[in-house]
Amino acid sequence: MNALDLARKLNWEILQPDGAETEIRGAYTSDLLSDVMAHAPADGLLITIQANINTVAVATLVHLRALVVCHRRPAPDDFLAAARREGVAVFRTTENQYRTSVRVAYALND
Amino acid sequence: MKFADVAQRLGAEVAHRGSTFDREELHHVMASDLMSDVLVVDRSRLLILTALASDQAIRTADMVGAAGVVVVNGKTLPAHMTRLAAELDVTLLRTRKPKFEACVALRELAAP
Amino acid sequence: MNVLPISPEQSSLVILDLLFKLKIKEVMTTTLITAPRGASLRDIQRLMKENGITGVPIAEGRRLFGIVSMDDIITALENGTVDERADRHMATNLVVLEDDMPLSFGISYFDKFRYGRFPVLNRNNELVGILTSRDVSASLLLELFKEYNKLEAQIQPPAPAAGERGRVRRKFPAKRYDFENAGKASHEIKKELTGRGYDPRLIRRVSVAAYEMELNMVVHSEGGALTCLLDPDRVELIAQDHGPGIADVDWAMQEGCTTANEWIKSLGFGAGMGLPNIRRVADEFDIQSTVGVGTTVRAVIRLPPVAPSPAPPQTP
Repeated sequence: MNALDLARKLNWEILQPDGAETEIRGAYTSDLLSDVMAHAPADGLLITIQANINTVAVATLVHLRALVVCHRRPAPDDFLAAARREGVAVFRTTENQYRTSVRVAYALND
Repeated sequence: MKFADVAQRLGAEVAHRGSTFDREELHHVMASDLMSDVLVVDRSRLLILTALASDQAIRTADMVGAAGVVVVNGKTLPAHMTRLAAELDVTLLRTRKPKFEACVALRELAAP
Repeated sequence: MNVLPISPEQSSLVILDLLFKLKIKEVMTTTLITAPRGASLRDIQRLMKENGITGVPIAEGRRLFGIVSMDDIITALENGTVDERADRHMATNLVVLEDDMPLSFGISYFDKFRYGRFPVLNRNNELVGILTSRDVSASLLLELFKEYNKLEAQIQPPAPAAGERGRVRRKFPAKRYDFENAGKASHEIKKELTGRGYDPRLIRRVSVAAYEMELNMVVHSEGGALTCLLDPDRVELIAQDHGPGIADVDWAMQEGCTTANEWIKSLGFGAGMGLPNIRRVADEFDIQSTVGVGTTVRAVIRLPPVAPSPAPPQTP
């Protein structure tokens, strides 16, 4: 499934669509960037509340395709601009990381 | 869901068995690594899943009255963290599963 | 005695911070070794050998025409074309960087394109430098040392607690970056209220406020103290620090706004929720701050009119 389809299916807000039409293979849930760098799967979706520009730096370093910002967290402009520049799609949901993880798992396995 | 169920679904080991281990009926899960994110929540019978293997995870659990903490990614629990869990009576578990997979294993608690 | 609370793992996060803060122009080599279009490949090979470099931009004045790499020289030696002009053999489909771009861009280019170096142009398309991976590591190491030195200079002893008479009053010092002890004060406050038998939900509100106030001082201030005043009808928490002060309090009160850097976030802090959390759980809240002097945060949680009976002693 590509990131855009997943976002639409789960009713996420689309904050930064560039790069959203890439295939998602797997997901990783974390708010600690060192943890993401060490373990996140390539071509994956990151489920997090860490909406800042360094998250984008890590996403490009480990080849994550998209980020979903959970728990209604604000997404600053510099974060979205960096994501656009690096081609990393960004979505937002009101649900927390736990519920989002469960729903993503269901959606990807359908 | 009881702690024993949680441990079984996560293949988790029990680092500290708190006094409510047998009777606590867990209703909610928070999967967060940032302490203030956990502090926003006002829920009882709460289980915290986190990659943060530090004293602060225990203190935060104590502050919000969470029933227990599960450390994910198979991270080593420092001795002082386990000691603090015992001191503050917070059940502490540890699983090899990454947080995403751990959430999925506990998906029954997400039912609205 | 004061050990820096930063592990090797966390230092990589300080570097991440720098990837976005530093611009390419701050990191690149500006003493350029170039050759004109008419130079022979043999001349260029000599330049490489004398200067210990593996790539030479072909430029005249500040105008960039191409680049000759070590590979090009080796091929020329094999084919016997090493005396020919540079512009017959130089690479012209160049990937260049702009001097104003953040360093993170440069790093992703190294990953994407597999070249060893990138010429750097300014806004007027003039060649102003060259970026190699050695430049990147040297700069990051240097910046990392600077950060460490800054942190070391900032660890200060806590302000001495002043004595006072009055109602039930406790004062706890808060020391900058003292993560080991952060939360002990709020725990004591929570214990005090639990011992008096108050409703768990009420206790949770006080705990959240106290904990966030304590953490804010440990994470963001030069040090200070958390005071808890317990009256029959209310509990008042006052967090007072001696610096650095908040320039824009309204900004700081917004969810998600934080000055925390990456290694602080790696410890689980800096979500930008602290002050909004305190305001949310308190019945009264105010914050005063002066840059260069300090910040005082005050939160009041009202207690029910009838004092509950103390909780029975817990059996171990």
